[in-house]
Amino acid sequence: MPANDSPAEGGVEITQSRAVDRRTFLAAAGTGATVGLAGCLGGGGGEGVRIGGVYLLSGLAEALGAGSAAAAEVAVDAINEEGGINGNDVEIEIRDHGDNPQRQMRSLVQEFGADVMIGLTSSGVTLNSGPTIEQLRVPFTLTDIGTPYITEPDTETYGDYYEDNGTAAGLPNLFRTNSNTSHMTYAIARFIQENYADTGTLSIANMGPSYAYGEQTWEYVQAYMDGLGVDYEVVASEFPELGATDMTPQINSVISADPDLLFTSFWAGDTVTFVSQAAEQGLFDQVDDVFDTIGADPTNFEALGDTMPEGLHFSGWYWPGAYGTEADQNFIDLYQSTYEDDSEVLAYPTFTGGSTWAAVQIYKDAIEAAGGTNPDDVISEMEGYTYEDDPRGSVTLDAETHQATASCVIGESSFDADVPYDGAGQVNTQTYTLDRETSLELLDGSGLPPGL
Amino acid sequence: MSYGFTERLQDRRNATGAAILVAVALVAAPFLLGGYQVNLLAETLCFVLFATAFNLLYGYTGLLSFGHAMFVAIAGYAVALTVTDLSPMLGVAGTFGGAAPLATWFLALVVGVVAATLLAVFIGFLSVRLEEIYFAIITLSFSMAIYVIVLQDTVGSLLGQEITNGSDGLTFIMGFVELFGWEFRLVDILNPLAYYFLTLVVVSIAMFTLWRITRSPFGMICLAIRENPERVESLGINVRFHRWITFIISGAFSGLAGALLIPLYTNVNPQYAYWTFSARPVIMTVIGGPYAFLGPAIGAFTYEYLRWFIRQFPALEANWQISLGLLLLVVVLFFNNGVAGGVNRFRAWIGVAVNRYHKGGVRGVVSLVRETIMKYVRLVWTTLRGGARSLMRRVGIGS
Repeated sequence: MPANDSPAEGGVEITQSRAVDRRTFLAAAGTGATVGLAGCLGGGGGEGVRIGGVYLLSGLAEALGAGSAAAAEVAVDAINEEGGINGNDVEIEIRDHGDNPQRQMRSLVQEFGADVMIGLTSSGVTLNSGPTIEQLRVPFTLTDIGTPYITEPDTETYGDYYEDNGTAAGLPNLFRTNSNTSHMTYAIARFIQENYADTGTLSIANMGPSYAYGEQTWEYVQAYMDGLGVDYEVVASEFPELGATDMTPQINSVISADPDLLFTSFWAGDTVTFVSQAAEQGLFDQVDDVFDTIGADPTNFEALGDTMPEGLHFSGWYWPGAYGTEADQNFIDLYQSTYEDDSEVLAYPTFTGGSTWAAVQIYKDAIEAAGGTNPDDVISEMEGYTYEDDPRGSVTLDAETHQATASCVIGESSFDADVPYDGAGQVNTQTYTLDRETSLELLDGSGLPPGL
Repeated sequence: MSYGFTERLQDRRNATGAAILVAVALVAAPFLLGGYQVNLLAETLCFVLFATAFNLLYGYTGLLSFGHAMFVAIAGYAVALTVTDLSPMLGVAGTFGGAAPLATWFLALVVGVVAATLLAVFIGFLSVRLEEIYFAIITLSFSMAIYVIVLQDTVGSLLGQEITNGSDGLTFIMGFVELFGWEFRLVDILNPLAYYFLTLVVVSIAMFTLWRITRSPFGMICLAIRENPERVESLGINVRFHRWITFIISGAFSGLAGALLIPLYTNVNPQYAYWTFSARPVIMTVIGGPYAFLGPAIGAFTYEYLRWFIRQFPALEANWQISLGLLLLVVVLFFNNGVAGGVNRFRAWIGVAVNRYHKGGVRGVVSLVRETIMKYVRLVWTTLRGGARSLMRRVGIGS
């Protein structure tokens, strides 16, 4: 905007500014009108049950959030097919985190009228949303979140996350159906103990995204290896930026440290970047095994194609077909038939599929048992509830911590896996579960909360 | 049509009535609106202050800062640390009893503004030596430095304790106020009625102060510096010093906006120091118009409510940056001085239309509409033709 269009003298400025007051009035009047209209549109309520969802649907983690959204839609369709909840149709609206995830949550509850919520794709966002989620009062089930802090109610031992810089951030209306970082890192530590620990001191390197999740998983896996008595030494620990396009400096640093095993905590796009660049640098020929916490996902394997090396042990919260349950087969069939002609969604459940399906189904059972959508009634039905038909086998929501007794799955990457896309899958899958007592024992002295 | 409507419409000085109406609307709004909208309005008010404080430097003094997010971030961290650490350390809860959250809030506001001011003193001192794009780049650099410092918790690692909590940032709750038998949350996220009024009072006072500053001799010099710094220098005014002071004032009020905004978000994290957050007041100001005092305020309202409108439609929301970008393009291309300028132009047009109505009735207005449309069609046509001709000349066709 050229400067000479502007009033150069103060006098002109004054008249102009006063004139603007009326404009402000116009703006305010316009706002008022829109707002009034919104008031009529919003509010929700009515007969049906409304589910609100917030996932990352853009940027780095798009594939992850989109997979969860797709699974939630399948679950809602299945419920509506069988007559809905208490005879009412279920309506679901899923939104992107956007530039302010807390506002999306409020909008879904206050404007869309969501009775229950599912969601979230970032541990950081989840912890930051604690006060918002608590004040919204409606049940909120996490399906994709790693951080153990959010299901740790013991503020006396670990300190309140929101008041005394502690690590216990458990909330009264928050539940989680996926296994969390505590489960995942325990499973990997256990796998190392069972398969590699008898060969003397193991040299281990770490690579993970440079933010809370990467740092936390590394702390936890070390604490569990200590607890399990694994004899190891750390030879390198590298944290590339989240969403980095070039990880070769960090990969080279790991290669020169020459570890036996490599632990990683990459997910979504970062897994693809890491694997393809590490394969190029020859990292996989040099180490005995590579682990990843939540990298075992059909979307990643499809994107990597034949670049994915065989014989690596990636883990995930769910892998289609790893459980041999009828419920799982049913879920996979429904998912495939829903998305077989979809150009955007891969017609195979992602690693959040099981937990997302479970979250929606548990809401159905709880709302029916409570006889309505009153938040407090639904929450008390959910506490301690056992969902028998979970694709991952029966799971129970702990009455205290609200964490599901879900398993996580470690498999071996292989091109022999029976998958409906071009790329690697998982074979020789093993599931791991963990209870609070064992976890407390193993984490003793680390100061880390079990979160389950 | 009432007597003198046209005159009053075109008269820019008769604004008292409008000001009173706006004040009444802002006071009445929270009682008429739902909780979500009250929250949005409170947030918008914070951005009104932020954008106006930014514009003191941009529209008035001619310095485009691309790092104003750092003041919001620093004030936000100061607020969070005051609530979680400083206030318990000083024993505010014991001294003030039921009013403790209010006292903590006030203390946090003061600490936040002081922190932002100190930062502005230091960074302003170094930045105002530069002008134009160099000034934008240096402010951007400083704010990104602050971003990295809070992300990596540099200060915390030097002191050997966690302060900023890395990428997750600090989440805190303001607590319950118990006053005269009333008990309420100071910041009720679902319906922040109490916090809305606190924000309204603080923003009103701050806006009035900024308005007085722009109307003072100090503000006149700012305008003069924007237009011709050499001339101002030759009049015996220390331009650099004057810019520095303006930078500090702008930073302090931006900090105040941040100190108000962060308790509403209940969380502060490094993203508030990131350059995309610095772009917010810039975009708001450009939308609203930098050469009117209330331009940034109108821009803040336009931005926030347009963003709200976009959120209502999943298809638009999925590409909200594009939707917003297109709007910005329209404003920059076709409006002279933002929405404020556009509204001004429209009002002048209405005045002409009313005159035509008096002279020629409905037919007069219709012909004016036709003339206006033809004017713009001709404008677009000549622009396109001119562009095409020069393009053809360049590639050597038709010469």
